[in-house]
Amino acid sequence: MSAEHKKPRYMLVWGGLAVLTAIEVGTAFMVRSALSGFGLSEQTMTMLIVLILIGLALWKALLVALYFMHLKWETRALKWLAAAPLLPATVMVVVVLMEYV
Amino acid sequence: MATHGAQAARFEQTSFAVGDKKLGMWVFLASEVMFFTGLIGSYIILRWGASSSWPAPGEVLNVPITAGNTFLLICSSVAMVKAFASIEEGNQKGLKLWLLATIVMGASFVGVQAYEYTELVHHGFTPASGLYGSTFYAMTGFHGFHVTMGVLCMIWVLGKALRGHYTQENHQGVEVIGLYWHFVDLVWIILFTIVYLI
Amino acid sequence: MATTTAGPTGIPVREEHHPQPFIRKYVFSTDHKIIGIQFLFTTLFFLLVGGLLAVMLRFQLGFPGAALPGGSMLPETMAPGGIILPEFYNSLVTMHGTFMVFFAIMPLLVGVYANYLIPVQIGTHDMAFPRLNMISYWLFLVSGLVMMASFWVVGGASGAGWTQYAPLSASPEASGVYNGQILWCISIAIFGFSSLLGSINYVTTVINQRAPGMTWLRLPLVIWALFITAILGLLAVPVLTAAVIMLMFDQTIGTTFFLPTEGGQPLLWQHLFWFFGHPEVYILILPAMGFVSEIIANGSRKPIFGYKSMVFAITAIAFLGFIVWGHHMFQSGMNPALGMSFMITTLIIAVPSAIKVFNWMATMWGGAIKFTTPMLFAVAFVMLFTIGGLSGIFMASTPVDIYIHDTYFIVAHIHYVLFGGSLFAIFGAIYYWFPKMFGRMINETAGRIHFALTFVLFNLVFFPMHGLGMEGMMRRIYDTSRYTHLAEVQDTNTMITWAAIGLFASGLYFMVLFFWSLFRGKPAGENPWDGTTLEWSLPSPPKHGNWEEIPTVYHGPYEYSHPDVDRDWLLQNERPDVVSPAHEVTVRQGEA
Repeated sequence: MSAEHKKPRYMLVWGGLAVLTAIEVGTAFMVRSALSGFGLSEQTMTMLIVLILIGLALWKALLVALYFMHLKWETRALKWLAAAPLLPATVMVVVVLMEYV
Repeated sequence: MATHGAQAARFEQTSFAVGDKKLGMWVFLASEVMFFTGLIGSYIILRWGASSSWPAPGEVLNVPITAGNTFLLICSSVAMVKAFASIEEGNQKGLKLWLLATIVMGASFVGVQAYEYTELVHHGFTPASGLYGSTFYAMTGFHGFHVTMGVLCMIWVLGKALRGHYTQENHQGVEVIGLYWHFVDLVWIILFTIVYLI
Repeated sequence: MATTTAGPTGIPVREEHHPQPFIRKYVFSTDHKIIGIQFLFTTLFFLLVGGLLAVMLRFQLGFPGAALPGGSMLPETMAPGGIILPEFYNSLVTMHGTFMVFFAIMPLLVGVYANYLIPVQIGTHDMAFPRLNMISYWLFLVSGLVMMASFWVVGGASGAGWTQYAPLSASPEASGVYNGQILWCISIAIFGFSSLLGSINYVTTVINQRAPGMTWLRLPLVIWALFITAILGLLAVPVLTAAVIMLMFDQTIGTTFFLPTEGGQPLLWQHLFWFFGHPEVYILILPAMGFVSEIIANGSRKPIFGYKSMVFAITAIAFLGFIVWGHHMFQSGMNPALGMSFMITTLIIAVPSAIKVFNWMATMWGGAIKFTTPMLFAVAFVMLFTIGGLSGIFMASTPVDIYIHDTYFIVAHIHYVLFGGSLFAIFGAIYYWFPKMFGRMINETAGRIHFALTFVLFNLVFFPMHGLGMEGMMRRIYDTSRYTHLAEVQDTNTMITWAAIGLFASGLYFMVLFFWSLFRGKPAGENPWDGTTLEWSLPSPPKHGNWEEIPTVYHGPYEYSHPDVDRDWLLQNERPDVVSPAHEVTVRQGEA
């Protein structure tokens, strides 16, 4: 059942997750003042911060899925199975958000 | 038995190449993604429609404590992965110790959340506190419920481990509870960001 | 009897050679066949309940303001003096829909036949998770009982429609129903969990436990349909579970997800509900289509025409089913651009359904058709489902739907696809697999009478509803006499009510026939229909564990009229050269 592969560097992943979490908290609270010098509008800054935060969160989630949940070494079929619900989920949220656009 | 041999070999030939329990857990997790989509998606939609009146991050909720709690949950995921790695090498002691560590950290996570809830309610922030309260308690509450179920299942798995049920050749139960645990951690990673930081 | 549950790691499971006590064997059984039969008895009961609720609401429509016969037995809060109150009428309509969709049709299609057929058609001993399977049944039963209980609590059962639109459903002040609403939500949440456990079992079993030689493209179409349906359930039902829990929170702990006075969004409920609700209706039709494929191939003594395109169609319907839900909401005031997108996707989804209809017709073309009772129901399915599908085209078009939404035109469509479609296919399946399940046949003549009565009465009840809808008769209304434009259609409504009473009676006749056949039906052999799929190689009923030794599969599932074989059917685990080979090619050419 275990594929032939190097034992994943779990502690390295853990370190990565810790660092990313710290960056996230920093971004949420401290980046705003750092960015204010660039003369961006309130709205643009917020959007930028939100995008960065979501990106960081997705990166962390991917690390957990690929390394802790072992997906990196699983078959393509299982990767698809794991990713499959993301499509209807995205469709639902995006389509309903269009009600407000 | 010939039938067992024939059946045991068969899953290797499918395109998924995983046993029943592991496949079943992944299938279950796919449905859990949709469940949390219902809750989190509703939050995104409701907030987008009411963005002007939404409190800023840290205004109502305690971000530092929850950031620490997030780190704790991530550590418990590492402990889980170490437990799995232990039994992959046949290390029974490592399995038991790391499972125990996971349980302790997981239970602490729930404890801290429960403490956070009591503090919030004490300050008048309840599920009836408008959309912010509704979405906050629904999402974090159901996540906490899933963590609690995970802790209970893990205690049961630890019980089996203590009785020597798992071996290097057969430890599907450990792998499967691990998958669930990492999933619960993954959902929290998303939740922490969008509920507490955005 | 040996219990053989193979673990994927090869660890043998304890074998039992002693007979199990009654409770363990028949009540808390983990045998998929027993669980399937438990579902069958339970859902037939709920089907009766749903039918009775329909007769009651039809009574009010056919004879507005008249006292229901036997209605004086009902409490004053429901029907004082036997005259149905408007609030109770709303509950009747709501509960009829709820019981039929969740507790009758869905479990009859999936709970019964996925459980019963998957292991015996793919060639394995049992489901991947037999104990989860058992829990799935008991959760289903509990959810059904909770729903039944909602009639008897203070305030009565929910009257917000099976679609439970907010804020009526979310606000006890508005609906006047408190406990009944909560019980509805709890029941559906438990049901969702039961459905989930089932889906996990079906998906895992079909992927992992197919017999050697049973490749994906050799699976019977029933299995394809049930497999895809299980995936639909996995992805759609949890969204309903989340929505129903949020609804319950709105009613109880003061959240405001769907209550507009506090910033909530009623439209969000509609989106969540229909995001589930549309895949749900494909859950309600795909297995039925699977049954029809089996029965039509069998009754025509020909392989299914276009097996691969059938598989494609099933998958396409399921996939597209996730992006059409807005067509239930054309009148909600949603973004018109969205409306147009949904209209386009809804029109597209007609294509794979049509592929299936043409394939069934092509299967029958040139076949040596035997009109057994299952075949009658299957062929009627094709006809009635087509009518239902055609009315769907009208509704798919937004401008037309603006006129016919929430009228009886929609009711006609629903019932043509759900009754003329799903339920007819279910009846066919019950007749077809009854011998395998119980070792007895249902009498052909008696079955044909059931068919004839059902077919005629069904059309008498539901076809006129297309016209009623066009005339402007709205759904769910209590008192037609208050609307002048409906005065001229009162006679039609009364006629429909009489036909509906007849239809219910024919349902009762079927129940009696079913139970009579359990005890007095003619004993059936292994393969009374000369079928080709693996279950027909087993005794009727199969033993616990189905096979001692897992069979090997040599070819596809519909090898009827195989040229190299004497008889006109070939089981999947039979090789043509080994079994009854044709003597000489020239002899066969001379035959008719």
